[in-house]
Amino acid sequence: MKTIINILLLFFFITSESHANENLNNKILKNLRCLVCQGQTVQDSNSEFALIIKSVVKDKIKEGNSEKEIYQFLSEKFGDWILLNPPFKKNSYLLWFLPYLLFILGIILLFFLLKKPKIRSKE
Amino acid sequence: MLSNLGNTLIIVALLISFLLVFFSFKEFRTNNNSIPGKIYKISLLQLFFTASSFIILLLAYVLSDFSLANVYENSHTNKPLFYKISGTWGNHEGSLLLWINILVLFSSLFLFINKNKDKDFKILTLLFQNILVIIFLIFLLSNSNPFSKLFPIPLEGLGLNPILQDPALAIHPPLLYVGFVGSSIYFSAALAALISKIDSQSLAISIKPWVLVSWFFQTVGILVGSIWAYYELGWGGYWFWDPVENSSLMPWFVMTALLHSILVLERRIGLYSWVIVLSILTFTMSVTGTFLVRSGILNSVHTFASDPSRGLFILSFLIIMVFFSIYIFFKFAPNESKKYTIFSKETFIIANNWFMIFFLGVVLIGTLYPVFLDTITGSKISVGPPYYNLVLAPFLIPLLFLMTSGPNYKWISHETKSFFDLVLVLSVILFLITFLLIKESSFLLNLILFFSIYLIIQTLFDFYESFKKKNINISRIISHLGFGLLIFFIYINHIFSQENNFNLKLGEIKKTDQYIIKFENLEEKSIKNYKSIVGYFNISDKKTSITKELKPEIRVYDKPITITYEASIESNLFSDTYLTMSNISETDVFNIKFQVKPFMNFIWFSVLLLSLGGLLNFLSRNKNEKN
Repeated sequence: MKTIINILLLFFFITSESHANENLNNKILKNLRCLVCQGQTVQDSNSEFALIIKSVVKDKIKEGNSEKEIYQFLSEKFGDWILLNPPFKKNSYLLWFLPYLLFILGIILLFFLLKKPKIRSKE
Repeated sequence: MLSNLGNTLIIVALLISFLLVFFSFKEFRTNNNSIPGKIYKISLLQLFFTASSFIILLLAYVLSDFSLANVYENSHTNKPLFYKISGTWGNHEGSLLLWINILVLFSSLFLFINKNKDKDFKILTLLFQNILVIIFLIFLLSNSNPFSKLFPIPLEGLGLNPILQDPALAIHPPLLYVGFVGSSIYFSAALAALISKIDSQSLAISIKPWVLVSWFFQTVGILVGSIWAYYELGWGGYWFWDPVENSSLMPWFVMTALLHSILVLERRIGLYSWVIVLSILTFTMSVTGTFLVRSGILNSVHTFASDPSRGLFILSFLIIMVFFSIYIFFKFAPNESKKYTIFSKETFIIANNWFMIFFLGVVLIGTLYPVFLDTITGSKISVGPPYYNLVLAPFLIPLLFLMTSGPNYKWISHETKSFFDLVLVLSVILFLITFLLIKESSFLLNLILFFSIYLIIQTLFDFYESFKKKNINISRIISHLGFGLLIFFIYINHIFSQENNFNLKLGEIKKTDQYIIKFENLEEKSIKNYKSIVGYFNISDKKTSITKELKPEIRVYDKPITITYEASIESNLFSDTYLTMSNISETDVFNIKFQVKPFMNFIWFSVLLLSLGGLLNFLSRNKNEKN
């Protein structure tokens, strides 16, 4: 009970102030895979490919494209492989839903496990 | 010469292992009350031969005997001695031999140290363990023999991948292997327990030290790998949710679950079958991890030794192992009486297991989904850090809360203990102070922050309480405190990390919000096995006017020709200053990555604390046994 009050209390302290230092450019580059490297982000790579993508992203931001539009543009060009955050679409429904399904399945199993002895003790 | 000797030793070791399996099988369900001495002797012989084969390989590396294909492919005469030695396990074949050595060592240790009276249980554990030894020895001989000969003998070797020439990475694999392979012994013990039907308490006592040891090594192994990634890969991160990292994390989740449920088993409350399932699952995850890494089906920063044919072998082994375990489990699974009560300690432990298995599930799904999707539909997607952060982070909140309140419940009874209000009040106050300093807007992150503080305060309070009562469960307190601190510092680090990327020529100055970075000098150096371009940077803080000198390097290794970017890190207690430079081809401009990363040392320290808890538990157990 106290925790619930506690959580509610927290709501009041949430301010809408966002972090000014959150650099959109860095954020986007961190979510892109460097295609010519082994498991590195574009942000962290210095390969020619990464340098090109970096300048493309920079230009796109200057042109006023949104984060989403930039991802869209890049995935059309290079495929979804470039996006480290898999987009929510037909081929990734399962990827996004399966964890929650697993979690719920856990609750159900737990429920039965903990309920059993009660029935027994009634007998 | 060494090649023949090595091969002979391996073949003898294989024959001895067969002998051991044969005698163990014969000994099973005889009227003897104790294990005959010859089995002990054979086990020692087996240990001797496998250890000698490893020493021979080590020797071949130290002497640079290029008549061994493995040494030729992975070593070089110019390499420093330390890396010649660590090169022994820095490749697939050598590491497999190390893996087998640990399997055999654990098999012997179990035979000699375990004091369980039940002979059938012990002999069956030995039997299963040595079947594993045989399988891996055959794998080694048929597919990945480190003693394969090369003719004509080359004069010089190809050299070791430079990014593996690093102290942290020299000790990282052995640590992880003790964790991975350590789980084999409770896999074998779990199967043996099913067949020999030993009671829950003696099963718990038999496997607990092994679980603790493997968990400790796994934790430290992950830590060392993480530290290595931080300073060597040059991107300033320490965890990338990379498939190879994931495969070391997956067994860790199961081990952690097992560690907790053994506590319930020890007290004969229940979970017998579940502990067995977890024991089997841990080793399965270890082998799965090995399969994923070695088969090369994953795209990763850490892929150094991959080959599809190995993958096929490990995969077949994995499938047979899983089906065999399931068969044994359902044939022999016992009927359990359960004594759980809701809101008792065991419920919280079961909840811990539920979360661990959930985390395992998420990491497994994230790692394997792209592989399956690619195989089935041919479309390639990436599952990177954003996915894991998004899916896992919310679940940290209830986990932290359970870790805070769970330990204060009693076993079996559901006697409610009031939450200590001072702890809650103190946590809220501390949270508010932190909040006012940070002003983070994300609701989720704030919740995580609060609950990590709550866990830290509660654990410290528990420590004080139990200290007064002189009844200290120090290992739990240290580990939980470590976890609380880990989440807290990861959070703080995440909020306050600064990163700047820019291009700079020699002599130029770059000003960021807080720092002035001056590119002062550039020097070329020639060192034993590489050439180095060293940049000299002067960093001064605008506010405090403290200056730092950073010297990042670009190294060009000659054998094999590889370029690596060495970060320069100035590490203080509270903050790391991190700088890497890389040349942009055909220009005199350098790309500079400048980062300020607070509390890195605290993150490492938290993980050490976490692992220390396990170690202390292991040590105090031994003390109790002696008394």
